Amino acid sequence: MPTAPPGLEDDPADGLAAVGALRRLADRVEDATVARAVAGGWSWTQIAEALGVTRQAVHKKHARRLSAAGLESGDR
Amino acid sequence: MAFERLTADARAAVLAASEDEARAEGSATIEAEHLLLALAAHPSLEHLGLDRAEIEGALAREEERSLATVGVAPGDYGSPTPTGRPRKPKLATSFKVALHRAVTTAQVCGDRRIGAHHLLGGVLAAEHGRVPRALRIAGIDVAELRTRL
Repeated sequence: MPTAPPGLEDDPADGLAAVGALRRLADRVEDATVARAVAGGWSWTQIAEALGVTRQAVHKKHARRLSAAGLESGDR
Repeated sequence: MAFERLTADARAAVLAASEDEARAEGSATIEAEHLLLALAAHPSLEHLGLDRAEIEGALAREEERSLATVGVAPGDYGSPTPTGRPRKPKLATSFKVALHRAVTTAQVCGDRRIGAHHLLGGVLAAEHGRVPRALRIAGIDVAELRTRL
């Protein structure tokens, strides 16, 4: 993986771009990990607690997506 | 909304293609880079020699580099998840800004209708963000490209 040349991290443009990249990465990590948790038998309540959000929030964000992929949580 | 001014052809094709790009990436939003990818594959812009796959690769490298500046390696999460989002992606600010710039350019040029070249001009006008960073990585001279629109 290419790394930034020395000094480049001093440019605010890189830090600002990193913010967007981190948000996209966080979304991908959440998508993939929630899918793995549901496949591993975690309930929405457990996943919500682990993420520090409400059960409704995590259900609203992921249930349809995972259902379309053939994954259902125990407490749908 | 500005999209009404597009030719039906440009409107339908470009918006649908941008949405496809966003969905393929698992993105909840349609960003300027999705519009760029859609335009890179647009038949009316073929003469510009934009390589959609090359730009896609440059966008991925741009993300890796940006993450590297804060010491993060994407690891196994580098590529989009296979489970896409069923919900319709929303138009992001970066997309709307590009669109607004395209409309302004068309007005300045006295063109009644907005074509794909106006849209590309709108995307390329961004000074900051993923699009100019990725194009720089791809070795594309944006200033030169804009003169050919």
